[in-house]
Amino acid sequence: MPDDVAISVRGLTKSYGSFHALAGIDLDVRRGEVLAVLGPNGAGKTTAVEILEGYRTRDAGEVTVLGADPARRARSLRARVGIVLQECAVDPYLTVTEALTQRAYLYESPRAVADVVSLVGLDEKAGARVKVLSGGQQRRLDLGLALIGNPELIFLDEPTTGFDPSARREAWDVVRDLCAEGRTVVLTTHYMDEAQALADTVVVLAGGRIVASGTPDTLGGRDHGMTTVRFALPDSAGVGDLPLPAGVDVAVRGGFVEFAVLEPTEVLHALTRWALDRGESLAGLSVVRPSLEDVYLALTGDPANIAAPGEQGR
Amino acid sequence: MNDLAIAAHQVRYEQKAYWRNPMAAVFTFAFPIIFLIVVGSSAGAAKVPGYTLRYDQYVVVAMLTFGLIAACYTNLAMAICTRRETGVLKRMRGTPIAIGSYMGGLIGSVLIVVALLTVLVVGIGMAFYHLHFPYHPGAVLLTLLVGIVTFSALGLAVTILVPNADAAPAIVNGIYFPVVFISGVFYPLAQGSVLARVADYFPIFHMIRALVSAFEGGPGSGLRAGDLLVMLAWAAGGLWVTARRFRWEPRRPK
Repeated sequence: MPDDVAISVRGLTKSYGSFHALAGIDLDVRRGEVLAVLGPNGAGKTTAVEILEGYRTRDAGEVTVLGADPARRARSLRARVGIVLQECAVDPYLTVTEALTQRAYLYESPRAVADVVSLVGLDEKAGARVKVLSGGQQRRLDLGLALIGNPELIFLDEPTTGFDPSARREAWDVVRDLCAEGRTVVLTTHYMDEAQALADTVVVLAGGRIVASGTPDTLGGRDHGMTTVRFALPDSAGVGDLPLPAGVDVAVRGGFVEFAVLEPTEVLHALTRWALDRGESLAGLSVVRPSLEDVYLALTGDPANIAAPGEQGR
Repeated sequence: MNDLAIAAHQVRYEQKAYWRNPMAAVFTFAFPIIFLIVVGSSAGAAKVPGYTLRYDQYVVVAMLTFGLIAACYTNLAMAICTRRETGVLKRMRGTPIAIGSYMGGLIGSVLIVVALLTVLVVGIGMAFYHLHFPYHPGAVLLTLLVGIVTFSALGLAVTILVPNADAAPAIVNGIYFPVVFISGVFYPLAQGSVLARVADYFPIFHMIRALVSAFEGGPGSGLRAGDLLVMLAWAAGGLWVTARRFRWEPRRPK
């Protein structure tokens, strides 16, 4: 395997009885990349990630993580991987610093405890026992515990669930810094803005298959999709006065004009010139491509996608 | 990294957490000592039939056993069930620690607790009940060690029966209390009685008998190999099912 590949998965399957949790997954993650795994509950996200983490065994397929098979649970591999689970899994009677110090001892070249405390923003709580921390603070400690061993690869399972908006932004900054240091991050999330903000690659799982993969901006043909243009209709004009190309389906709701076009440049040019010529403005003008969430909902809501063979991961 | 050094490091943090959790300390220390004072002071100074120890001195040995079981079996089982439920065990498996180092940390912490308990309980016995310093201290230590192994193994094994942390106290104590009551922890069993014949199948009675023998003056080593073997058989059984069926993660509906 080339050195720049952190994770390689081919033909991964896993069944629980007659339920096919994973029905053939192919996936590659480059080093230094952030992979976001999206998908509805029951899509196979947890199963896939836990196979990569070494918690579960697979039925078939090839899985390589940092050059090793995670199913063997080699210590040398575990030493290079950091894992954040959904539960805050720390002894409630230890302090933040104690929990990190205890964990740091398990690794050959851990990061400095005080640095990690600062990194996850718990300086003021360094001496506090885990049980008195808020849910968000416990999650941050969890992240700190995953980072203490100086891992090359970090798994984050819904890392910002329960965070307030500013704590989420801080956590995102931490993830970006990790990537800047050349570490690889695999995260599962239900937040589309999180995937949009952090991921280099997004894969969408549905029914145990990858139904789409790509960058957040191109996923599911997002870059080729219809762009929605919306603005307030000037008082002096009717819809019929607007210089719109023939065949565009225009809706007027609450005084706002809304239509979707494949290529908005020309129509915007015509519209703004029209407005300027009349001495009017296009109040509240917005030009919006389909959001990641729109694409995601279309992908995971479509039964055809779930039944169809999955697209190949990159 | 040296596994033994890691285990020792784990012991330090297990100890910190242990003493900050009031429940564990209450069960291990307060209960046996309160029983020791209450039962011991009402037991009288008559000799227990078949033994050279007096009733109150017998209670000292019985309470040492009681506390040891709380420290090994009860506390260990509760800690494992809670950690399994909260994901601590799963998380631990994601780190490079060897299972032996982790379990070693837990058992090492138990060893310290039992050592302290022994000093306290035997000290009270010597100060207030004229208990003689053990005539066979080596046999006492060996019996305590076998007891720690046995009841720790059973503490690990019982977690297999526990579906979730809420059910842990009921199942862990539900198995343990009946055996404690029939095993002569609170009063010596009459030899040859029905109860003694039932208790003979379980390790607690053998632990008390072996400890009493090690405390008593008398010819020989004070070691009761037969009793220790019964305990070790239970230990082996406990370890065997633990190795086969131990769960690191909570049971979840799929």
